[in-house]
Amino acid sequence: MTAAGAVAASGEREDTSCFQCHSAQVQEFAKSVHYDRNISCTDCHGGDPHISGAAVSVSAMSTNFTGAPARINITETCSKCHSEVTGVYKESIHWKELEKGVTIAATCTDCHGVHGILPSTNPNSSANLENVPVLCAGCHENQTKMSAWYYGIKTDRFDTYKKSYHYKALLSGGKGLATCTDCHENHNTRNESDPGSAIYAANLASTCGKSGCHPGNSAVIYGGKVHEGQSVQLLSIDTKALVTYFYIAMILFELVFTLGLVGLDITSKFDIRRRR
Amino acid sequence: MVELKFKRFTLNQRIEHILFFTSFILLAYTGFPLKFPDEWWSRWMIESVGGFDNRTLIHHISGLVMIGVSAYHVIYHILEKPRFDILFHPKDINDFLQQVKYSLGFSSEHPKAGRYTWKQKFEYFGAGFGAVIMGFTGILMWHPFEAMRYFPLGVIQIANLFHTWEAVLASLAIFIGHFYDEHLGKFLNMSWLTGTVSEEEMRHEHPAEYEGIMGSYAPGNPEMNVPEVRSNSSAGSIMIMGFAKLLFTIVFLAISTWMLWISYQVLVEAVNTYIL
Ligand code: HEC
Ligand code: HEC
Ligand code: HEC
Ligand code: HEC
Ligand code: HEC
Ligand code: HEC
Ligand code: HEM
Repeated sequence: MTAAGAVAASGEREDTSCFQCHSAQVQEFAKSVHYDRNISCTDCHGGDPHISGAAVSVSAMSTNFTGAPARINITETCSKCHSEVTGVYKESIHWKELEKGVTIAATCTDCHGVHGILPSTNPNSSANLENVPVLCAGCHENQTKMSAWYYGIKTDRFDTYKKSYHYKALLSGGKGLATCTDCHENHNTRNESDPGSAIYAANLASTCGKSGCHPGNSAVIYGGKVHEGQSVQLLSIDTKALVTYFYIAMILFELVFTLGLVGLDITSKFDIRRRR
Repeated sequence: MVELKFKRFTLNQRIEHILFFTSFILLAYTGFPLKFPDEWWSRWMIESVGGFDNRTLIHHISGLVMIGVSAYHVIYHILEKPRFDILFHPKDINDFLQQVKYSLGFSSEHPKAGRYTWKQKFEYFGAGFGAVIMGFTGILMWHPFEAMRYFPLGVIQIANLFHTWEAVLASLAIFIGHFYDEHLGKFLNMSWLTGTVSEEEMRHEHPAEYEGIMGSYAPGNPEMNVPEVRSNSSAGSIMIMGFAKLLFTIVFLAISTWMLWISYQVLVEAVNTYIL
């Protein structure tokens, strides 16, 4: 598309009657991938696309107008064009919970946005690989949101992920490192106990073994814990706690000892002069 | 005037030491940014070596150098005529107590150390065990999925725990303790490069060894290769020395602050997760 064409195209759409009354949505929409693909408000909302800006009228929202979809129906809006993805999504725990009435479970627009949807390769997209941890954390690290669903749900997922090499290296500028969706799938997100889940113990070998990650390591990870960490018992004591206690003591000792001696040495340098 | 120079390190030892400390500094420099990826200095340090992949490469190569020089050191000493003056001795306890008394002003006598002071022995074995811990755990972490063929994931996670803690402990000991004792306290100590120390330092730091050598010392005795006799080198300008010491002190304080900050962080985190 030439620059002139782009201007003409956007001018045309900004002239739609929706703009006069919903400029906020239109402006957000103008940055989105859908706008770039010549999709207009009416593809999602219905209404009469032919009513021009000159004739500002609420009748723009008449012909086949569907309004804003309810949360449970958002998938219907998107599936018109993204039927495949929607089909996959409908296998996920997010959809199954949503269907059951857990309104906080994630739907398309929670992860992608509503009007300003960007391609996931765009670094500003909320579904961009680097932004995914923050995106998921928005719910999975949010105690009030999640415990409204059921008490005892794990809300430490981002915290535990933060301690992993994957996240540390990702933040430090490493490339190709696993984030939430690499292990939990973009759309087919499932429970750990679901045999179809990417994190079902028997499936971990293939999940971790994706090409570019840890290929050719079949079955070795079986039963490994990623978030909680694998506990190792030594004489029925948690070894990790043991190591931690040991090093807390060692470091406190080192600090007191080293700083103490340095302090003593510095002060004694003044003493020497007095003594002699 | 003639100045006696006492042989402290063989060329072999000096090369070992230089390889060990350059690899140590590089390892710390490329390791800690990964441990604290959120900090401003982390990004800065990683950029300074040309990005994340270079960081990883440098960490791994320096790790191999450290493992290599440590293994070489052990093998060399097994093949060489065994020597025991580096081992701990009950006298070291007295020396330690004497040093504390002296520093506090309860005694006007310095402990009379032999070739190795009690503290140098601590540092030697600390560095030795540190290198063993870092080497073994580092190798496990290098190819975790290979390692998982032989060990459960939990063992690798414990290796990681040791690696992280020991890195802090070793760096505290080296960057604060060792730097103060051997370099700032004995400024300008170039024995790591020249291999010799001055008569004054021998008398002050290793009086027992000094007396032993001087007891059998006869100038011109061809059997005696220690001490070396050298003519007095022209003393460096006081201005330059003072400036160098000021510079070194500033660097020392900066690194110490950094180390104390790191220790504080890891202690707080460990206490929060394991004790509170
Ligand atoms: C004359 C001004 C006007 C025009 C033109 C107009 N709207 Fe509206 N629209 C409104 C008002 C007023 C409301 C109701 C208040 C609200 O919910 O913000 C509304 C509400 C909506 C809603 C939300 C409905 C709901 O269920 O909450 C949608 C979606 C919508 N309009 C889409 C469109 C689209 C698409 C167009 C262009 C085809 C359009 N509108 C043109 C004034 C207008
Ligand atoms: C890709 C489909 C899609 C397109 C294209 C689209 N919308 Fe929407 N719109 C939605 C969805 C989905 C919602 C419901 C959001 C929610 O409930 O969270 C919505 C909600 C709205 C609302 C209700 C207020 C709000 O922001 O939640 C208005 C007004 C609106 N759209 C106007 C427009 C206008 C004007 C355009 C054209 C510039 C447009 N929409 C284009 C999908 C779309
Ligand atoms: C009228 C058809 C249509 C509707 C309705 C529609 N989209 Fe799209 N969408 C497209 C087209 C066309 C593209 C561009 C595809 C491409 O670049 O390959 C696209 C791209 C996307 C992308 C970026 C894909 C990428 O490359 O990363 C996302 C995300 C997306 N849509 C989400 C949604 C969501 C969520 C909804 C529902 C609120 C929705 N779409 C509704 C047609 C539609
Ligand atoms: C839990 C968050 C989440 C939900 C819910 C979600 N997506 Fe996605 N979606 C993602 C992520 C993450 C990516 C891929 C990012 C990447 O790989 O760069 C993605 C990618 C996409 C893409 C482009 C790539 C592809 O796989 O074709 C489309 C189109 C898309 N989603 C549409 C939808 C639609 C439509 C829905 C609702 C039916 C939906 N998404 C629900 C997170 C989500
Ligand atoms: C809008 C809020 C929201 C967002 C965003 C969201 N989730 Fe969820 N997620 C939920 C809810 C609610 C459940 C259902 C919890 C349940 O039933 O246990 C859930 C369930 C899950 C489960 C099953 C775990 C369980 O305890 O049952 C996984 C795994 C999961 N989500 C991963 C993700 C990932 C990965 C992302 C980011 C790409 C994400 N979620 C984004 C709300 C969200
Ligand atoms: C390296 C792969 C990996 C990454 C990255 C990852 N997870 Fe997980 N996740 C797992 C595995 C494996 C489990 C199963 C339990 C365990 O190992 O602790 C799990 C469990 C979960 C659960 C509970 C599932 C259940 O059924 O109880 C949620 C929720 C979750 N992860 C969310 C996230 C979020 C949010 C992120 C990003 C911040 C994330 N995960 C990053 C692999 C991963
Ligand atoms: C002796 C050989 C050593 C080897 C083989 C080794 C190897 C490794 C490996 C494989 C990692 C994982 C991340 C990566 O791949 O870069 C790592 C992390 C790290 N290393 Fe080393 N290392 C060694 C010594 C040291 C030393 C001496 C220090 C510091 C004084 C150090 C500090 C660190 C730190 C702080 C981390 C990050 C740990 C974390 O994520 O919490 N390493 N090392």
